[in-house]
Amino acid sequence: MPSPLNRFPWGVAPAALLLVALLSGAVLLATTAAAGPRPDLVFALFSKEHKQAYEPLIAAFASEHHVTIEVQHSDMRALASRLQSSFLAGAEVPDVVEVSEPWMGYFTKGPLNDLGFADLTDRIRDEGIDQQIPAGRFAMWSTRGRIFAVPHDVHPVALVYRRDLCEQLGIYPATLTTWDEMTRVGRRISVDTDGDGVIDRYLLDLPAEGDFGLRTLLLQRGGNLFDEHGQPCFDDELAVEVCVWYAQATRGAGRIAFPAGWGQPLAKAMSDGLALFYLAPDWRTRQFELDVPHLAGKLGLIPLPAWQPGGRRTSTWGGTGIALTRACRDPQLAWALIHRLYLQTDGMGGRFADSNILPPFKPAWTLPEIRAPRPFWNGLALGSFYAALAPDVPAYWVTPYTELANGKLNEAFSAIAAAQERGEGDLAGTARRELKRCADYVRAAIARNHFLEPSP
Amino acid sequence: MSLSRRLAPWWLLTPYIAITALFFVVPLLDAIGISFYQTNGARSRVWVGLDNFTFVLGDPDFHKALINTAVFTLGSLFIQLPLSLGLALLLHNGTGRAVRAVRLIIFSPHLVGQVFVGILFSVLFMPRFGLINQGLQNLIGWGLEQRWLGDPALVMPALILTSLWMYVGFNMIYFLAALQGVDKGLVEAARHDGAGPWQVFRHVVLPAIQPVTVFVVLTSTIGSFQLFELPFTLLRGNGPDNAGLTVVGYLYQTAFTAGDLGTGAAVGWILAFIIFLVGLVQIRLVGRGGGA
Amino acid sequence: MTSLQACLLAAVGVGVLLALGGPRGRRWSGLYARYALLGLAAGLTLTPFAWLLCAAIKSPEALLQTPFLPALADWPRDLTLANFATLFKPQPGYPPFWRYLLNSLFLASVGTLLQVVLCSAAGWALAKYRFRGRGALMAFMLGSMAIPGMVLLAPLYQLTYRLGWLDTWLPLLIPGAVSAFVVFLFRQASQGVPDELIEAARIDGAGELRIWLHIGMPLVRPMTGAFCLIVFLGQWNAFLGPQVFISRQELLTLPVALNTYMGVYSQQYGVFLAGTLLAIIPPAILFLALQREFVSGLTSGAVKG
Repeated sequence: MPSPLNRFPWGVAPAALLLVALLSGAVLLATTAAAGPRPDLVFALFSKEHKQAYEPLIAAFASEHHVTIEVQHSDMRALASRLQSSFLAGAEVPDVVEVSEPWMGYFTKGPLNDLGFADLTDRIRDEGIDQQIPAGRFAMWSTRGRIFAVPHDVHPVALVYRRDLCEQLGIYPATLTTWDEMTRVGRRISVDTDGDGVIDRYLLDLPAEGDFGLRTLLLQRGGNLFDEHGQPCFDDELAVEVCVWYAQATRGAGRIAFPAGWGQPLAKAMSDGLALFYLAPDWRTRQFELDVPHLAGKLGLIPLPAWQPGGRRTSTWGGTGIALTRACRDPQLAWALIHRLYLQTDGMGGRFADSNILPPFKPAWTLPEIRAPRPFWNGLALGSFYAALAPDVPAYWVTPYTELANGKLNEAFSAIAAAQERGEGDLAGTARRELKRCADYVRAAIARNHFLEPSP
Repeated sequence: MSLSRRLAPWWLLTPYIAITALFFVVPLLDAIGISFYQTNGARSRVWVGLDNFTFVLGDPDFHKALINTAVFTLGSLFIQLPLSLGLALLLHNGTGRAVRAVRLIIFSPHLVGQVFVGILFSVLFMPRFGLINQGLQNLIGWGLEQRWLGDPALVMPALILTSLWMYVGFNMIYFLAALQGVDKGLVEAARHDGAGPWQVFRHVVLPAIQPVTVFVVLTSTIGSFQLFELPFTLLRGNGPDNAGLTVVGYLYQTAFTAGDLGTGAAVGWILAFIIFLVGLVQIRLVGRGGGA
Repeated sequence: MTSLQACLLAAVGVGVLLALGGPRGRRWSGLYARYALLGLAAGLTLTPFAWLLCAAIKSPEALLQTPFLPALADWPRDLTLANFATLFKPQPGYPPFWRYLLNSLFLASVGTLLQVVLCSAAGWALAKYRFRGRGALMAFMLGSMAIPGMVLLAPLYQLTYRLGWLDTWLPLLIPGAVSAFVVFLFRQASQGVPDELIEAARIDGAGELRIWLHIGMPLVRPMTGAFCLIVFLGQWNAFLGPQVFISRQELLTLPVALNTYMGVYSQQYGVFLAGTLLAIIPPAILFLALQREFVSGLTSGAVKG
């Protein structure tokens, strides 16, 4: 056999792989710049959009301060698990990190003096930053009375709706001010129009498993997963009420909500008009502009209907904050960077125009970009609309057990929803029992933690 | 260079032993030690004795994970392997291009990584828009709005279906290879003696491929018990009501999501013990059953 | 008739075609049924691939409009290579897409080579030499397969850090350079090499290393091809390790990089699926090249228990 590859003891395939390895290795060697010295600051974040928005500001900041700054972007779960492993191993970590609401909890599990992130409470109070940002927004970033991040956003939640279809159906969203009225309309229009046994039009898009929909509505109702002392409270009567309503809205005969999901399926449901109303935190409106461009001018926005007349008209969904690691090599410089990105109006208008995310920094709310009418939204001043809701955004207390509690709330809801699908009476009784069982599970988990000293 | 015959095996084994010692045994000992502690970060560590083990064994979530994993394992053993064997039998005597093509086709899903398969099937399983939902609605008039990944009763069937697509062809190849080793003379002799196809299969073919069957059963069991990436990407979590929570998923959740490494390590030990036990039982059962 | 029903009919049709091209002279009873079944299995297996192929070339708006391809009239509007263009479009602050491909190619081929060389050595030693401790080593190896890798992840991370290997490819290559499973496969395969050959070589004065490389390995080659593919697939599709150990963007592998298209604010299914399609190509090439050896190779690993 003439092929020289054949002379490789393991045969042709490994020899071919050897060639591939050598070739790719050579190209990689030729194109890789040697890793330079570690930059003065390493800033890790989990959103491509954020990285692209910050990069010009950071470049300017770096040359102003004569330093080098590297911005590392990773997938959200990857960043979380890597940070956690690094904290556990005592390994090198980035100096500044953008953290996401659900996983801040993982990092605040231990004794206050042994957390991976630096306590920012004094800086925030001394500089009066807590006066410049809606007060409830720090709840997400606090544990045992101490604050560990500066909020990036408020994420007030409203409802986006198909204006054109509502008009055709004789629905006047502006008059729907309570969930009761909403439900009545829902029952009327969520029907099988062509008689094939499948419902063809729904009032709302809500996930059928509970999930963010249930949590968002629970927060709006004034409920929470945890109280401010970090104790589970999702088995109170508010939670029972919201769970029962949610089960009836999403499950069984008479349901008014369809789970449209994410990304393209959601876009398709919107385009088809499969559901008329969609939960819309500020960040999601940008997604709508990108995913359903052909609906420009056909979408409207209203505040959430209240649970009781005169009640709260908004909620919150998601959140990002910026934190300093305890191992940060130059906290002064890092804090200056945080100021530059989060606490100066310069640049915030442009970022809002790009992302539709309302900054929590109140002085920014009068910027022209935030007050500008937006053609896609039929001339609505999107920023001002959300800024008006922002002060009412409920506090969402995040603890090391938030992820667990979220899972357990869904678990309880799953049992309630199953009872609803079976057509059982006394849904509230089921809800009370299941929520209690699940909250007790979280209480037991907290009791096992040897490091979590009680709130001062 | 020449090696003495006595030392040669040790030279050849050196890389395996060295790498295994450093990157398997050392972390392993570490993980044994840590399972008796509660930790937080590099500095905080409290001795808790057997508390991690008693907690895990008494945790309803762990029981759920164990049941789910067992169901999945049974699914792969009793649905996937018979399908693999069946396809191998159908393909076995065939020759020619078409048969080779079918063999390639049925194996090909194994080329796609679990991460990709997870996201691909999460779209195929979508209520109303998913290919599987639309296909079922078209064929049998059911299923358009079924939430495969959202209904606790359907999550496990969805996982099993997806893993069928991935692994039926892979295990089929093993069976196919084994069938080629079956003595044709024995088969002919049995036919000659008037044995029907089933009897030939039961008394000649099955005993002949028994070593491969043991191998495939064992590797499938180990693989099924260690299932993680597929539900992790398909469900982006544990699924509704923890219906897609596997034992390794539970391990990931305790060790990484909740940051409790000690409890995570305890889960790992319990799982290793179970796999070990199941493996031994299987070797005895399948070994004996096939030989009879 | 819907396109789905058409698809299933086509699958059955494939079966019939196979039947016509199948072997002659055998009993024909049942033959049609057999090929129809095989055709159905092949059709069902191919359906997700067909869907993937269509999804990768559809615009986001058209993705869920039709199950497979849109109506012919809509092709100019709905079919596009934009998903691939998005993948390859340079983005400031990110390495070009081919970089991830190259990283994965390098890591998977080096990782596979390392495993094949090191594990074949260990397998050969365990199969062809009697020495004290062999039984214990075998038992340890088989037992180690029961340990879920996830338990070791945290201690391994700590070790990687102490070695100064974080953010390099070493933690992806070195710990994975040996695998008990592959050693076991090579041991089984090596047992098939006749002892007489080895003895004859020794009498001719061949050294032990030479015997392994020039007598043992060539005889094990068909299996080596099969094991190569299995190992390569594992390395190529590895996800958790690269995600945990690598944070420098230019060192990331294809699956991890593609996963970022399923991001927090936006999920670009079309782009992700186009990337999936590209990610299948290298293992598919390897598979097609190795398919002859594949079936025969796998047996010897499994048969002699």
